[in-house]
Amino acid sequence: MTQMSNLKKVSNPYIPKLTTIQEIVSENKPVNDLKTFKLVFNNPDDFKEFDYIPGQFAELSYFGAGECPIGIASSPTEEGYLLFTVKRVGVVTTALHNSKEGTAIGIRGPFGNGWPIEDLIGHNVVIIGGGFAFSTLRSLTKYILAKRELFKKLIVIYGARNPNELCYKQDLAEWEKLDDLELHLTIDRPVDGWTKKVGFVPAITKEVAPDSTDAFAIVCGPPIMIKFTIPVLTELGFADERILLSLENRMKCGIGKCGHCCVGEKYVCIDGPVFTQAQLRSLPKEY
Amino acid sequence: MKEKILPKEQLPQILKTLLESYKVFAPIKKNGFYVFGEIETPDEIALNYLNSKIPPKEIFYPRTEVLFTFTKSPQGIDIQEAINPSESRVIFGIRPCDAKSFTLLDKFFSYGKFKDPYYQTRRENTLLIGLACVNPRSTCFCTSINGSPFGEEGLDILFVDLGDKYFVKSLNLKGDELLDQLPGLTPASEKDRFNMTELLKKVLASMTPEIPIENINTKLEQLFDEEVFWDQFSQKCIGCASCTFLCPTCTCFDVVDEETSSSGKRIRLWDTCQFPLFTLHGSGHNPRPTKRQRLRQRVMHKFSYYPKTLDEIGCVGCGRCIIVCPVNQDIREVFKALQET
Repeated sequence: MTQMSNLKKVSNPYIPKLTTIQEIVSENKPVNDLKTFKLVFNNPDDFKEFDYIPGQFAELSYFGAGECPIGIASSPTEEGYLLFTVKRVGVVTTALHNSKEGTAIGIRGPFGNGWPIEDLIGHNVVIIGGGFAFSTLRSLTKYILAKRELFKKLIVIYGARNPNELCYKQDLAEWEKLDDLELHLTIDRPVDGWTKKVGFVPAITKEVAPDSTDAFAIVCGPPIMIKFTIPVLTELGFADERILLSLENRMKCGIGKCGHCCVGEKYVCIDGPVFTQAQLRSLPKEY
Repeated sequence: MKEKILPKEQLPQILKTLLESYKVFAPIKKNGFYVFGEIETPDEIALNYLNSKIPPKEIFYPRTEVLFTFTKSPQGIDIQEAINPSESRVIFGIRPCDAKSFTLLDKFFSYGKFKDPYYQTRRENTLLIGLACVNPRSTCFCTSINGSPFGEEGLDILFVDLGDKYFVKSLNLKGDELLDQLPGLTPASEKDRFNMTELLKKVLASMTPEIPIENINTKLEQLFDEEVFWDQFSQKCIGCASCTFLCPTCTCFDVVDEETSSSGKRIRLWDTCQFPLFTLHGSGHNPRPTKRQRLRQRVMHKFSYYPKTLDEIGCVGCGRCIIVCPVNQDIREVFKALQET
């Protein structure tokens, strides 16, 4: 109980900080179910306290509709704002999608462990993403590009159903021009005017065959993509300890209390969302 | 540690004294069953109870509670935190199993980087006065989970009903201090102590035999993927989740917003891993879509995951899940089946 008497000093982790939507970008017009929100903290000090790394997430509040966990798509190297790419799925994400620039959005976080930047420094990094799960991979790619000298070779394989579903088109166009980033974009089926790769991410990963020497593979995408990409990586010689994945589970609190996201004795929100393939082997397949 | 005797007719006087300085929660009868509620006079207390239907955890962790309120105006949103400093409180008449559940909840709500200020604020400044079980139910199994009908864990003071008087034992400094303030207590004699020990023996002998649960977590891990093992229990489950809602150690919650045109509140409410919606993804994917997986989750969480993260079994053997189950699911049958495999 002595521990408890100090608690007045600790801030309440359930209370969101206030931000304002500065910009909304539709990632997949005219479907429009993927939008990226640029949020700016109302109080600049809150942004200073929001000390995050790529791969972490935050709980976004649309007051009156509720809260939902969303991966942070911006990189801490981008100053002054946060980016979140939100797929319109349920009550909260629909409310977010219907809101306009200037709307107040609550934010709690950053939560979760994030991509293990310290481990990646000095190594080759292979980033493999599918669909809108690319958001925290955008964060990581931006981060690596901003601190390029700390990392070795950078390969990004990114696939979507069709060209329209590829997020961050402006970033991708810039990345294509870079010499120190090997970018492979792919779509599921041929489309007129598309000159890049065609095929599912696992097949393209096999074709690109990134060298596993001194490398980490970072994979984020729909479960089916992950399922078929891991064997390819294993075949290429990536050890389970060097295959990193980000899990998603339904969650409410983000701080290890509400119980929704637990997988075995681990919580996706505090022990994850990033796990190595080696860690996942010892957990129940409840994600 | 002090040992005293209180004649039963003096109990109202003790409660009266407590009511002068504390908010007092005690077993009361409400809508036909026993619960823990605030009392204002000594005669509201209902000491004939075996245990409360709803665990007293709701005093610290209510079924629904407001996390914060907010108002919307053209100037923006204003958030008001809904934590009030807790007044000094006493819970009187809590059973040892439920007192033990608080030690688990204390650990759970304070472990890790993030603490739960709502639980902790209610929990601090609360003294726990227990009432030993002299009539354990057939569904009680605290002795199988390292507990006892006279258990002291989590309590500040323990009362034992010796028939015409209570044996009153303070268990720590706070308990000592409180006993000093209470009227009508006389020192316990050697004979009283002997009577209490004899009573405990009698009570223990009346209980359902202990079920050995050593190595239960290892066995559970081995059987995790054995569908047949889990099906024998999950097939009759109707998924009503009463077992988890009335469990003194269950902590899961949901969070929702409620609003009118200009103001609203964020509320948390007890939730349960026994409902499919608990884990359902926005995509439609569900990591635990079957009853088998959900029943397994409940058992694994209490007897495997809880020991791994908090070093304790997440069950106190109160038996509420057995009493309340509409299809007579008995968690002890799971232990027995584990021992037999």
